[in-house]
Amino acid sequence: MATQLRERDVLTPAKLVRQDQVHRSVYTDPALFDLEMKRIFGRAWLYLAHKSEFKEPGDYVVRHMGSQAVILTLDKDGSVQAIFNRCTHRGATLCAFDKGSAPNGHQCPYHGWMFNSDGTVRFIPYDKGYGDRLDKGEFGITRVRLEEYRGFLFGNLAGDEAGPLVDFLGHMKTSIDDLVDRSPTGELECGPYVLRHYYRANWKMTFENLNDTVHPGFAHAASVVSAKAITKEVGGPHNIVPTIGMMMANGKPVQFFQDLDMVTAPGGHSYIGGHMGADYTPDTSDAYTQSLMDFHGEDKARDVLSIDRHLMLLYPSSFWHARYQTIRIIRPVRHNLTEMIGFVFRLKGAPEETYANAIEYCTGANSAASPVISDDLEIYERCLLGNSFDEREWIPMSRGMDEDREHASGYDRMPATSEGFIRNQFKAWAAYMAAA
Amino acid sequence: MSDEIRLFVEREARLLDQMRYEEWVGLFLPDARYWVPVSPDQPSPAAGPSHFHDDIQVLMVRTHRLANPRAFAAEPSPRTVHIVSGVCAEEGDEGIAVTSSQIMLEYRNRGNYEDDQRLFGGQVTHTLHRVDGTLRIAHKRIDLINAQGAFNAMLAPL
Repeated sequence: MATQLRERDVLTPAKLVRQDQVHRSVYTDPALFDLEMKRIFGRAWLYLAHKSEFKEPGDYVVRHMGSQAVILTLDKDGSVQAIFNRCTHRGATLCAFDKGSAPNGHQCPYHGWMFNSDGTVRFIPYDKGYGDRLDKGEFGITRVRLEEYRGFLFGNLAGDEAGPLVDFLGHMKTSIDDLVDRSPTGELECGPYVLRHYYRANWKMTFENLNDTVHPGFAHAASVVSAKAITKEVGGPHNIVPTIGMMMANGKPVQFFQDLDMVTAPGGHSYIGGHMGADYTPDTSDAYTQSLMDFHGEDKARDVLSIDRHLMLLYPSSFWHARYQTIRIIRPVRHNLTEMIGFVFRLKGAPEETYANAIEYCTGANSAASPVISDDLEIYERCLLGNSFDEREWIPMSRGMDEDREHASGYDRMPATSEGFIRNQFKAWAAYMAAA
Repeated sequence: MSDEIRLFVEREARLLDQMRYEEWVGLFLPDARYWVPVSPDQPSPAAGPSHFHDDIQVLMVRTHRLANPRAFAAEPSPRTVHIVSGVCAEEGDEGIAVTSSQIMLEYRNRGNYEDDQRLFGGQVTHTLHRVDGTLRIAHKRIDLINAQGAFNAMLAPL
Protein backbone atom coordinates (compact mmCIF):
# COMPACT_ATOMS: atom_id res chain seq x y z
CA MET A 1 0.00 0.00 0.00
CA ALA A 2 1.38 3.35 -0.99
CA THR A 3 1.54 5.52 2.07
CA GLN A 4 3.42 8.61 3.06
CA LEU A 5 5.60 6.59 5.38
CA ARG A 6 6.25 3.44 3.42
CA GLU A 7 6.57 4.70 -0.12
CA ARG A 8 7.44 8.32 0.38
CA ASP A 9 9.02 8.64 -3.05
CA VAL A 10 6.17 7.04 -4.93
CA LEU A 11 3.31 9.34 -4.04
CA THR A 12 3.72 12.75 -2.48
CA PRO A 13 0.52 14.03 -0.81
CA ALA A 14 -0.46 16.23 -3.73
CA LYS A 15 -0.10 13.28 -6.13
CA LEU A 16 -2.75 11.34 -4.20
CA VAL A 17 -5.33 13.52 -5.92
CA ARG A 18 -6.07 13.41 -9.64
CA GLN A 19 -8.67 15.46 -11.44
CA ASP A 20 -11.22 12.64 -11.34
CA GLN A 21 -9.79 10.16 -8.80
CA VAL A 22 -8.41 10.09 -5.30
CA HIS A 23 -6.11 7.57 -3.70
CA ARG A 24 -7.69 5.42 -0.97
CA SER A 25 -4.86 6.17 1.48
CA VAL A 26 -6.27 9.67 2.11
CA TYR A 27 -8.80 7.91 4.35
CA THR A 28 -6.68 5.16 5.83
CA ASP A 29 -3.15 6.45 6.37
CA PRO A 30 -2.40 7.73 9.92
CA ALA A 31 0.71 9.57 8.65
CA LEU A 32 -1.42 11.51 6.17
CA PHE A 33 -3.82 12.38 8.99
CA ASP A 34 -0.96 13.86 11.02
CA LEU A 35 0.09 15.90 8.00
CA GLU A 36 -3.51 17.09 7.45
CA MET A 37 -3.58 18.39 11.01
CA LYS A 38 -0.50 20.53 10.28
CA ARG A 39 -1.10 21.57 6.71
CA ILE A 40 -4.91 21.85 6.52
CA PHE A 41 -6.22 22.38 10.07
CA GLY A 42 -3.06 24.34 10.84
CA ARG A 43 -3.75 26.80 7.99
CA ALA A 44 -7.47 27.10 7.32
CA TRP A 45 -9.84 29.43 9.16
CA LEU A 46 -11.85 27.21 11.52
CA TYR A 47 -15.21 28.22 12.99
CA LEU A 48 -14.86 28.14 16.78
CA ALA A 49 -17.65 29.96 18.59
CA HIS A 50 -20.39 32.58 18.42
CA LYS A 51 -20.09 35.77 20.45
CA SER A 52 -23.47 35.08 22.14
CA GLU A 53 -21.76 32.22 23.99
CA PHE A 54 -19.94 34.81 26.12
CA LYS A 55 -22.06 36.88 28.52
CA GLU A 56 -19.78 37.93 31.42
CA PRO A 57 -16.02 38.54 31.53
CA GLY A 58 -14.34 35.22 32.24
CA ASP A 59 -16.94 33.14 30.37
CA TYR A 60 -15.05 30.57 28.33
CA VAL A 61 -15.54 27.68 25.91
CA VAL A 62 -13.05 25.01 24.86
CA ARG A 63 -13.00 24.11 21.15
CA HIS A 64 -10.81 21.96 18.94
CA MET A 65 -8.66 23.06 16.03
CA GLY A 66 -7.85 19.77 14.39
CA SER A 67 -6.46 17.56 17.14
CA GLN A 68 -5.52 20.48 19.43
CA ALA A 69 -7.75 22.31 21.91
CA VAL A 70 -8.00 26.04 22.53
CA ILE A 71 -9.76 28.11 25.21
CA LEU A 72 -11.78 31.14 24.12
CA THR A 73 -12.42 33.57 26.98
CA LEU A 74 -14.26 36.89 27.16
CA ASP A 75 -11.75 39.43 28.46
CA LYS A 76 -12.61 42.35 30.76
CA ASP A 77 -12.11 44.71 27.81
CA GLY A 78 -14.93 42.98 25.90
CA SER A 79 -12.68 41.13 23.44
CA VAL A 80 -12.62 37.34 23.07
CA GLN A 81 -9.13 35.85 23.39
CA ALA A 82 -8.06 32.38 22.24
CA ILE A 83 -5.13 30.46 23.76
CA PHE A 84 -4.03 26.84 23.68
CA ASN A 85 -5.54 24.72 26.45
CA ARG A 86 -2.09 23.85 27.79
CA CYS A 87 -0.06 24.98 30.78
CA THR A 88 3.39 26.21 29.76
CA HIS A 89 4.97 24.51 32.79
CA ARG A 90 4.45 20.75 32.54
CA GLY A 91 1.96 20.71 29.68
CA ALA A 92 -1.22 19.71 31.52
CA THR A 93 -4.47 20.89 29.98
CA LEU A 94 -5.98 23.79 31.91
CA CYS A 95 -9.72 23.39 31.35
CA ALA A 96 -11.40 20.02 31.82
CA PHE A 97 -14.90 21.18 30.88
CA ASP A 98 -16.26 22.44 27.55
CA LYS A 99 -17.42 25.71 29.04
CA GLY A 100 -17.46 27.64 32.25
CA SER A 101 -16.50 30.86 33.98
CA ALA A 102 -12.97 31.83 34.98
CA PRO A 103 -13.12 35.57 35.84
CA ASN A 104 -9.77 35.38 37.65
CA GLY A 105 -7.96 33.54 34.87
CA HIS A 106 -7.21 29.91 34.08
CA GLN A 107 -5.33 27.99 36.72
CA CYS A 108 -3.38 24.81 36.08
CA PRO A 109 -4.46 22.03 38.45
CA TYR A 110 -0.89 20.69 38.71
CA HIS A 111 1.28 23.42 40.33
CA GLY A 112 -1.21 26.28 40.33
CA TRP A 113 0.25 28.37 37.52
CA MET A 114 -2.30 31.02 36.64
CA PHE A 115 -2.89 32.63 33.25
CA ASN A 116 -4.92 35.61 32.05
CA SER A 117 -7.45 35.11 29.26
CA ASP A 118 -4.89 36.42 26.74
CA GLY A 119 -2.39 33.78 27.87
CA THR A 120 -0.04 36.04 29.83
CA VAL A 121 1.20 34.67 33.15
CA ARG A 122 -0.84 36.05 36.06
CA PHE A 123 1.22 34.44 38.78
CA ILE A 124 3.35 31.41 39.52
CA PRO A 125 3.13 30.01 43.05
CA TYR A 126 6.52 29.50 44.78
CA ASP A 127 8.26 31.33 41.94
CA LYS A 128 11.19 32.25 44.19
CA GLY A 129 12.39 28.67 43.63
CA TYR A 130 13.29 29.71 40.09
CA GLY A 131 15.44 32.64 41.18
CA ASP A 132 16.04 34.67 38.03
CA ARG A 133 16.10 31.59 35.78
CA LEU A 134 12.50 31.88 34.62
CA ASP A 135 11.22 34.90 32.70
CA LYS A 136 7.44 35.03 33.15
CA GLY A 137 7.18 37.09 29.97
CA GLU A 138 8.41 34.09 28.00
CA PHE A 139 6.01 31.62 29.59
CA GLY A 140 2.74 33.06 28.44
CA ILE A 141 0.49 30.68 26.47
CA THR A 142 0.53 31.22 22.70
CA ARG A 143 -2.46 33.21 21.48
CA VAL A 144 -4.43 32.01 18.49
CA ARG A 145 -5.40 34.58 15.87
CA LEU A 146 -9.16 35.21 15.81
CA GLU A 147 -11.33 37.07 13.33
CA GLU A 148 -15.06 37.68 13.46
CA TYR A 149 -17.61 37.64 10.68
CA ARG A 150 -21.08 38.86 11.75
CA GLY A 151 -20.72 37.49 15.27
CA PHE A 152 -19.05 34.21 14.30
CA LEU A 153 -15.52 33.78 15.63
CA PHE A 154 -12.99 31.92 13.51
CA GLY A 155 -9.46 30.96 14.50
CA ASN A 156 -6.33 30.37 12.45
CA LEU A 157 -3.27 28.51 13.73
CA ALA A 158 -1.06 30.04 11.01
CA GLY A 159 -1.33 33.43 12.73
CA ASP A 160 -0.05 36.34 10.66
CA GLU A 161 0.77 34.05 7.74
CA ALA A 162 -2.93 33.50 7.09
CA GLY A 163 -4.85 35.81 4.79
CA PRO A 164 -7.95 37.62 6.06
CA LEU A 165 -11.05 35.62 7.01
CA VAL A 166 -13.27 37.32 4.40
CA ASP A 167 -10.98 36.10 1.62
CA PHE A 168 -11.21 32.57 2.99
CA LEU A 169 -15.02 32.75 3.15
CA GLY A 170 -15.31 34.29 -0.32
CA HIS A 171 -18.70 33.59 -1.89
CA MET A 172 -19.64 31.42 1.12
CA LYS A 173 -20.16 34.47 3.30
CA THR A 174 -23.51 34.80 1.53
CA SER A 175 -24.60 31.63 3.38
CA ILE A 176 -23.51 33.14 6.70
CA ASP A 177 -25.38 36.34 5.77
CA ASP A 178 -28.37 34.14 4.98
CA LEU A 179 -28.31 32.84 8.58
CA VAL A 180 -27.85 36.22 10.30
CA ASP A 181 -30.33 38.05 8.05
CA ARG A 182 -33.05 35.57 9.04
CA SER A 183 -33.07 37.12 12.51
CA PRO A 184 -35.72 39.87 12.88
CA THR A 185 -33.39 41.70 15.27
CA GLY A 186 -30.13 40.98 13.46
CA GLU A 187 -29.08 38.95 16.49
CA LEU A 188 -28.55 35.24 17.03
CA GLU A 189 -28.26 33.34 20.29
CA CYS A 190 -26.29 30.09 20.40
CA GLY A 191 -28.32 27.49 22.32
CA PRO A 192 -26.72 26.12 25.50
CA TYR A 193 -27.14 22.43 24.58
CA VAL A 194 -24.96 20.69 22.01
CA LEU A 195 -25.50 17.34 20.35
CA ARG A 196 -22.56 15.07 19.56
CA HIS A 197 -22.01 11.88 17.63
CA TYR A 198 -18.89 10.03 16.57
CA TYR A 199 -17.94 7.49 13.96
CA ARG A 200 -14.97 5.22 13.46
CA ALA A 201 -13.83 6.55 10.10
CA ASN A 202 -12.11 9.51 8.48
CA TRP A 203 -13.30 13.12 8.92
CA LYS A 204 -13.50 13.71 5.16
CA MET A 205 -16.31 11.14 4.83
CA THR A 206 -18.79 13.63 6.31
CA PHE A 207 -17.70 16.37 3.91
CA GLU A 208 -18.13 14.04 0.95
CA ASN A 209 -21.48 12.69 2.12
CA LEU A 210 -23.56 15.63 3.31
CA ASN A 211 -24.16 17.19 -0.09
CA ASP A 212 -24.13 13.89 -1.99
CA THR A 213 -27.72 13.80 -3.24
CA VAL A 214 -27.52 10.41 -4.94
CA HIS A 215 -26.93 8.34 -1.79
CA PRO A 216 -30.17 9.10 0.14
CA GLY A 217 -32.38 7.01 -2.12
CA PHE A 218 -30.17 4.01 -1.35
CA ALA A 219 -28.45 4.52 2.00
CA HIS A 220 -31.62 5.85 3.63
CA ALA A 221 -34.08 3.62 1.80
CA ALA A 222 -35.09 1.80 4.99
CA SER A 223 -36.24 5.07 6.59
CA VAL A 224 -38.25 5.94 3.51
CA VAL A 225 -39.92 2.53 3.43
CA SER A 226 -40.79 2.74 7.14
CA ALA A 227 -41.91 6.37 6.93
CA LYS A 228 -44.23 5.45 4.04
CA ALA A 229 -45.63 2.44 5.89
CA ILE A 230 -46.39 4.47 9.02
CA THR A 231 -47.84 7.35 6.96
CA LYS A 232 -50.33 4.84 5.56
CA GLU A 233 -51.02 3.44 9.01
CA VAL A 234 -51.85 6.86 10.50
CA GLY A 235 -54.20 7.81 7.68
CA GLY A 236 -52.12 9.69 5.11
CA PRO A 237 -49.56 12.48 4.64
CA HIS A 238 -51.72 15.19 6.27
CA ASN A 239 -51.51 13.30 9.57
CA ILE A 240 -47.73 12.93 9.81
CA VAL A 241 -45.31 14.88 12.01
CA PRO A 242 -42.46 16.92 10.38
CA THR A 243 -39.72 14.42 11.33
CA ILE A 244 -41.42 11.77 9.21
CA GLY A 245 -41.67 14.29 6.37
CA MET A 246 -37.91 14.80 6.61
CA MET A 247 -37.33 11.04 6.36
CA MET A 248 -39.58 10.89 3.31
CA ALA A 249 -37.57 13.65 1.61
CA ASN A 250 -34.73 11.15 1.24
CA GLY A 251 -36.95 9.18 -1.12
CA LYS A 252 -37.21 11.97 -3.69
CA PRO A 253 -36.23 10.83 -7.19
CA VAL A 254 -32.71 11.63 -8.43
CA GLN A 255 -34.25 13.98 -11.03
CA PHE A 256 -35.43 16.25 -8.19
CA PHE A 257 -31.81 16.69 -7.10
CA GLN A 258 -30.53 16.86 -10.68
CA ASP A 259 -32.69 19.97 -11.16
CA LEU A 260 -31.23 21.67 -8.06
CA ASP A 261 -27.99 23.63 -8.21
CA MET A 262 -24.75 22.88 -6.47
CA VAL A 263 -22.31 25.75 -6.02
CA THR A 264 -18.63 25.20 -5.34
CA ALA A 265 -16.06 27.85 -4.45
CA PRO A 266 -12.27 28.01 -4.06
CA GLY A 267 -11.02 26.53 -0.78
CA GLY A 268 -13.13 23.36 -0.99
CA HIS A 269 -16.43 25.03 0.02
CA SER A 270 -19.86 24.25 -1.45
CA TYR A 271 -23.63 24.37 -0.97
CA ILE A 272 -26.70 23.04 -2.71
CA GLY A 273 -30.03 24.73 -3.29
CA GLY A 274 -33.45 23.78 -2.00
CA HIS A 275 -34.30 22.89 1.58
CA MET A 276 -35.98 19.55 2.00
CA GLY A 277 -38.04 19.94 5.12
CA ALA A 278 -41.34 21.33 6.30
CA ASP A 279 -42.36 24.98 6.37
CA TYR A 280 -43.58 26.90 9.39
CA THR A 281 -47.26 26.77 10.33
CA PRO A 282 -49.26 29.68 8.79
CA ASP A 283 -49.45 31.74 12.01
CA THR A 284 -45.71 31.52 12.59
CA SER A 285 -44.99 32.16 8.94
CA ASP A 286 -47.12 35.36 8.90
CA ALA A 287 -45.74 36.71 12.19
CA TYR A 288 -42.17 35.88 11.19
CA THR A 289 -42.48 37.46 7.74
CA GLN A 290 -43.95 40.62 9.31
CA SER A 291 -41.14 40.83 11.87
CA LEU A 292 -38.52 40.53 9.11
CA MET A 293 -40.25 43.28 7.11
CA ASP A 294 -40.28 45.55 10.17
CA PHE A 295 -36.55 45.05 10.59
CA HIS A 296 -35.25 44.89 7.01
CA GLY A 297 -37.94 46.69 5.01
CA GLU A 298 -40.18 44.82 2.59
CA ASP A 299 -37.78 44.33 -0.32
CA LYS A 300 -34.86 43.06 1.75
CA ALA A 301 -37.17 40.80 3.79
CA ARG A 302 -38.47 39.18 0.61
CA ASP A 303 -34.90 38.71 -0.60
CA VAL A 304 -33.94 37.03 2.67
CA LEU A 305 -36.92 34.67 2.56
CA SER A 306 -36.37 33.86 -1.10
CA ILE A 307 -32.94 32.35 -0.48
CA ASP A 308 -33.43 28.62 -0.52
CA ARG A 309 -30.23 26.76 0.29
CA HIS A 310 -29.54 23.42 1.89
CA LEU A 311 -26.24 22.78 3.69
CA MET A 312 -23.17 24.95 3.15
CA LEU A 313 -19.93 23.04 3.69
CA LEU A 314 -17.11 25.29 4.87
CA TYR A 315 -14.02 23.22 4.26
CA PRO A 316 -12.40 21.73 6.32
CA SER A 317 -14.34 22.10 9.53
CA SER A 318 -17.96 23.26 9.59
CA PHE A 319 -21.42 22.72 8.10
CA TRP A 320 -23.99 25.54 8.03
CA HIS A 321 -27.75 25.35 7.60
CA ALA A 322 -29.24 28.87 7.60
CA ARG A 323 -32.87 27.80 7.18
CA TYR A 324 -32.60 25.54 10.26
CA GLN A 325 -30.14 27.73 12.23
CA THR A 326 -27.80 24.79 12.75
CA ILE A 327 -24.00 24.69 12.61
CA ARG A 328 -22.03 21.50 12.96
CA ILE A 329 -18.29 21.41 13.68
CA ILE A 330 -16.07 18.48 12.85
CA ARG A 331 -13.44 17.29 15.29
CA PRO A 332 -10.95 14.92 13.64
CA VAL A 333 -9.57 12.74 16.45
CA ARG A 334 -7.59 10.12 14.49
CA HIS A 335 -7.58 9.03 10.86
CA ASN A 336 -10.27 6.53 11.83
CA LEU A 337 -12.20 8.45 14.50
CA THR A 338 -14.25 11.62 14.07
CA GLU A 339 -16.61 13.58 16.28
CA MET A 340 -19.40 15.88 15.06
CA ILE A 341 -20.75 18.61 17.32
CA GLY A 342 -24.10 20.26 16.54
CA PHE A 343 -25.15 23.78 17.66
CA VAL A 344 -28.61 25.33 17.30
CA PHE A 345 -29.17 29.10 17.12
CA ARG A 346 -32.19 31.08 18.22
CA LEU A 347 -33.27 33.92 15.92
CA LYS A 348 -33.75 36.61 18.58
CA GLY A 349 -37.20 38.13 18.36
CA ALA A 350 -38.62 35.44 16.02
CA PRO A 351 -41.64 33.26 16.93
CA GLU A 352 -40.75 30.33 19.22
CA GLU A 353 -41.66 27.83 16.51
CA THR A 354 -38.63 28.89 14.47
CA TYR A 355 -36.41 27.63 17.32
CA ALA A 356 -38.42 24.43 17.79
CA ASN A 357 -38.12 23.81 14.06
CA ALA A 358 -34.32 24.24 14.22
CA ILE A 359 -34.04 21.92 17.24
CA GLU A 360 -35.99 19.26 15.41
CA TYR A 361 -33.73 19.57 12.38
CA CYS A 362 -30.55 19.40 14.47
CA THR A 363 -31.81 16.33 16.32
CA GLY A 364 -32.62 14.63 13.01
CA ALA A 365 -29.36 15.73 11.39
CA ASN A 366 -26.85 15.16 14.18
CA SER A 367 -28.17 12.64 16.70
CA ALA A 368 -26.53 9.22 16.64
CA ALA A 369 -30.06 7.91 17.18
CA SER A 370 -31.40 9.62 14.05
CA PRO A 371 -32.63 6.97 11.62
CA VAL A 372 -30.88 8.93 8.85
CA ILE A 373 -27.53 9.62 10.56
CA SER A 374 -27.19 6.07 11.89
CA ASP A 375 -27.22 4.82 8.28
CA ASP A 376 -24.55 7.36 7.29
CA LEU A 377 -22.30 6.41 10.20
CA GLU A 378 -22.51 2.76 9.23
CA ILE A 379 -21.61 3.62 5.62
CA TYR A 380 -18.60 5.76 6.69
CA GLU A 381 -17.27 2.86 8.75
CA ARG A 382 -17.79 0.40 5.90
CA CYS A 383 -15.87 2.69 3.55
CA LEU A 384 -12.94 2.83 5.95
CA LEU A 385 -12.92 -0.95 6.17
CA GLY A 386 -13.16 -1.46 2.40
CA ASN A 387 -10.51 1.14 1.65
CA SER A 388 -8.03 -0.72 3.84
CA PHE A 389 -8.06 -3.51 1.21
CA ASP A 390 -5.52 -3.24 -1.61
CA GLU A 391 -7.85 -4.59 -4.28
CA ARG A 392 -7.77 -1.23 -6.07
CA GLU A 393 -5.90 1.99 -5.27
CA TRP A 394 -7.98 4.75 -6.84
CA ILE A 395 -11.50 5.94 -6.02
CA PRO A 396 -13.47 7.61 -8.84
CA MET A 397 -15.08 11.02 -8.27
CA SER A 398 -16.05 11.87 -11.83
CA ARG A 399 -19.86 11.95 -11.54
CA GLY A 400 -21.21 15.08 -13.22
CA MET A 401 -17.84 16.13 -14.60
CA ASP A 402 -19.33 17.10 -17.95
CA GLU A 403 -22.42 18.76 -16.52
CA ASP A 404 -21.18 22.09 -15.14
CA ARG A 405 -23.76 24.87 -15.60
CA GLU A 406 -21.76 28.03 -14.97
CA HIS A 407 -18.21 29.13 -14.27
CA ALA A 408 -18.57 32.50 -12.55
CA SER A 409 -16.08 34.69 -10.82
CA GLY A 410 -15.71 33.22 -7.33
CA TYR A 411 -17.87 30.13 -7.81
CA ASP A 412 -18.93 27.32 -10.18
CA ARG A 413 -22.48 26.05 -10.61
CA MET A 414 -23.47 22.47 -11.48
CA PRO A 415 -26.30 19.97 -10.87
CA ALA A 416 -26.73 18.97 -7.20
CA THR A 417 -26.10 15.36 -8.22
CA SER A 418 -22.54 16.18 -9.32
CA GLU A 419 -19.48 14.99 -7.44
CA GLY A 420 -18.01 18.39 -8.31
CA PHE A 421 -18.06 19.34 -4.61
CA ILE A 422 -15.82 16.35 -3.81
CA ARG A 423 -13.42 17.21 -6.65
CA ASN A 424 -13.41 20.78 -5.34
CA GLN A 425 -12.61 19.57 -1.81
CA PHE A 426 -9.69 17.48 -3.03
CA LYS A 427 -8.40 20.33 -5.16
CA ALA A 428 -8.19 22.38 -1.95
CA TRP A 429 -6.83 19.36 -0.06
CA ALA A 430 -4.00 18.90 -2.58
CA ALA A 431 -3.14 22.61 -2.51
CA TYR A 432 -2.95 22.63 1.31
CA MET A 433 -0.99 19.37 1.44
CA ALA A 434 1.51 20.27 -1.31
CA ALA A 435 2.87 23.30 0.54
CA ALA A 436 5.55 22.23 2.99
CA MET B 1 -45.36 0.52 45.84
CA SER B 2 -47.32 -2.27 44.25
CA ASP B 3 -45.69 -5.15 42.39
CA GLU B 4 -47.87 -4.16 39.45
CA ILE B 5 -45.78 -1.07 38.69
CA ARG B 6 -42.43 -2.84 39.05
CA LEU B 7 -43.65 -5.68 36.84
CA PHE B 8 -44.86 -3.13 34.26
CA VAL B 9 -41.45 -1.46 34.02
CA GLU B 10 -39.70 -4.83 33.82
CA ARG B 11 -42.10 -6.03 31.14
CA GLU B 12 -41.58 -2.88 29.07
CA ALA B 13 -37.82 -3.55 29.05
CA ARG B 14 -38.35 -7.23 28.25
CA LEU B 15 -40.53 -6.39 25.22
CA LEU B 16 -37.59 -4.41 23.82
CA ASP B 17 -35.15 -7.25 24.49
CA GLN B 18 -37.51 -9.69 22.76
CA MET B 19 -37.96 -7.27 19.83
CA ARG B 20 -41.74 -7.30 20.34
CA TYR B 21 -41.85 -3.72 19.09
CA GLU B 22 -45.53 -3.44 18.19
CA GLU B 23 -46.51 -4.50 21.70
CA TRP B 24 -43.88 -2.11 23.06
CA VAL B 25 -45.21 0.89 21.13
CA GLY B 26 -48.69 -0.17 22.23
CA LEU B 27 -47.75 0.58 25.86
CA PHE B 28 -47.45 4.30 25.01
CA LEU B 29 -50.44 6.65 25.02
CA PRO B 30 -51.19 8.33 21.64
CA ASP B 31 -49.72 11.67 22.77
CA ALA B 32 -46.78 10.14 24.66
CA ARG B 33 -43.18 11.32 24.35
CA TYR B 34 -39.95 9.33 24.57
CA TRP B 35 -37.05 11.59 25.53
CA VAL B 36 -33.29 11.13 25.94
CA PRO B 37 -31.80 14.55 26.84
CA VAL B 38 -28.23 15.62 26.00
CA SER B 39 -27.57 16.89 29.52
CA PRO B 40 -28.89 16.12 33.02
CA ASP B 41 -29.78 19.81 33.44
CA GLN B 42 -31.72 20.11 30.16
CA PRO B 43 -35.08 21.41 31.43
CA SER B 44 -37.15 20.36 28.44
CA PRO B 45 -36.85 19.12 24.86
CA ALA B 46 -37.70 22.68 23.78
CA ALA B 47 -34.47 23.98 25.32
CA GLY B 48 -32.20 22.29 22.80
CA PRO B 49 -31.58 19.20 20.69
CA SER B 50 -31.93 15.72 22.20
CA HIS B 51 -30.50 12.28 21.46
CA PHE B 52 -34.10 11.05 21.12
CA HIS B 53 -37.26 13.10 21.29
CA ASP B 54 -39.91 10.89 19.75
CA ASP B 55 -43.65 11.03 19.53
CA ILE B 56 -45.62 7.88 18.87
CA GLN B 57 -45.21 8.18 15.08
CA VAL B 58 -41.45 8.41 15.26
CA LEU B 59 -41.39 5.42 17.63
CA MET B 60 -43.46 3.52 15.09
CA VAL B 61 -41.10 4.40 12.22
CA ARG B 62 -38.02 3.67 14.33
CA THR B 63 -39.17 0.20 15.33
CA HIS B 64 -40.67 -0.61 11.93
CA ARG B 65 -37.27 0.23 10.44
CA LEU B 66 -35.40 -2.16 12.73
CA ALA B 67 -37.08 -5.05 10.95
CA ASN B 68 -35.93 -3.80 7.52
CA PRO B 69 -32.81 -5.47 6.09
CA ARG B 70 -31.95 -2.18 4.33
CA ALA B 71 -31.45 -0.45 7.68
CA PHE B 72 -27.75 -1.17 7.32
CA ALA B 73 -26.77 -0.07 10.78
CA ALA B 74 -29.31 -2.53 12.17
CA GLU B 75 -28.13 -5.47 10.10
CA PRO B 76 -28.55 -7.75 11.90
CA SER B 77 -30.83 -6.10 14.44
CA PRO B 78 -28.97 -5.23 17.62
CA ARG B 79 -29.57 -7.65 20.47
CA THR B 80 -30.15 -6.12 23.87
CA VAL B 81 -30.64 -7.11 27.46
CA HIS B 82 -31.99 -4.65 30.01
CA ILE B 83 -31.21 -4.89 33.72
CA VAL B 84 -33.90 -3.07 35.70
CA SER B 85 -33.34 -2.25 39.34
CA GLY B 86 -34.54 -0.02 42.17
CA VAL B 87 -38.02 0.75 40.86
CA CYS B 88 -39.68 3.53 42.92
CA ALA B 89 -43.14 4.97 42.32
CA GLU B 90 -44.90 8.06 43.54
CA GLU B 91 -48.47 9.14 42.82
CA GLY B 92 -48.64 12.76 41.66
CA ASP B 93 -50.84 15.21 39.77
CA GLU B 94 -49.25 14.23 36.44
CA GLY B 95 -49.81 10.53 37.01
CA ILE B 96 -47.59 7.90 38.59
CA ALA B 97 -43.93 8.96 38.51
CA VAL B 98 -41.75 5.86 38.38
CA THR B 99 -37.97 5.96 38.55
CA SER B 100 -35.65 3.03 38.01
CA SER B 101 -31.95 2.41 37.44
CA GLN B 102 -31.37 0.61 34.17
CA ILE B 103 -28.45 -0.81 32.23
CA MET B 104 -28.80 -1.93 28.64
CA LEU B 105 -26.15 -4.22 27.20
CA GLU B 106 -26.21 -4.11 23.41
CA TYR B 107 -24.52 -6.31 20.82
CA ARG B 108 -24.11 -5.34 17.17
CA ASN B 109 -22.20 -7.57 14.76
CA ARG B 110 -19.98 -4.96 13.11
CA GLY B 111 -16.84 -7.02 12.55
CA ASN B 112 -14.67 -4.22 13.86
CA TYR B 113 -13.90 -5.72 17.27
CA GLU B 114 -14.28 -2.42 19.12
CA ASP B 115 -17.71 -1.29 20.21
CA ASP B 116 -19.52 -4.42 19.03
CA GLN B 117 -20.80 -4.67 22.59
CA ARG B 118 -21.81 -1.45 24.33
CA LEU B 119 -23.25 -0.47 27.69
CA PHE B 120 -25.84 2.24 28.17
CA GLY B 121 -27.02 3.14 31.64
CA GLY B 122 -28.74 5.72 33.74
CA GLN B 123 -31.95 6.70 35.43
CA VAL B 124 -35.22 6.05 33.67
CA THR B 125 -38.31 8.07 34.61
CA HIS B 126 -41.70 6.84 33.48
CA THR B 127 -44.89 8.83 33.87
CA LEU B 128 -47.69 6.29 33.88
CA HIS B 129 -51.44 6.81 33.55
CA ARG B 130 -54.10 4.27 34.35
CA VAL B 131 -56.47 4.04 31.39
CA ASP B 132 -59.48 1.74 31.73
CA GLY B 133 -57.66 -0.09 34.50
CA THR B 134 -54.48 -0.61 32.43
CA LEU B 135 -51.14 1.15 32.97
CA ARG B 136 -49.95 3.16 29.94
CA ILE B 137 -46.84 5.30 29.37
CA ALA B 138 -47.47 9.05 29.03
CA HIS B 139 -43.78 9.94 29.13
CA LYS B 140 -40.47 8.07 29.28
CA ARG B 141 -37.28 9.99 30.01
CA ILE B 142 -33.87 8.36 30.04
CA ASP B 143 -30.99 10.25 31.67
CA LEU B 144 -27.89 8.46 30.43
CA ILE B 145 -24.92 8.93 32.74
CA ASN B 146 -22.89 9.98 29.68
CA ALA B 147 -25.66 12.07 28.11
CA GLN B 148 -23.22 14.89 27.31
CA GLY B 149 -20.84 12.60 25.45
CA ALA B 150 -20.69 11.66 21.78
CA PHE B 151 -22.43 8.48 20.64
CA ASN B 152 -22.02 6.11 17.75
CA ALA B 153 -25.16 4.94 15.91
CA MET B 154 -27.97 4.09 18.33
CA LEU B 155 -30.58 1.87 16.75
CA ALA B 156 -32.13 -0.05 19.62
CA PRO B 157 -34.48 2.01 21.78
CA LEU B 158 -33.14 2.28 25.33
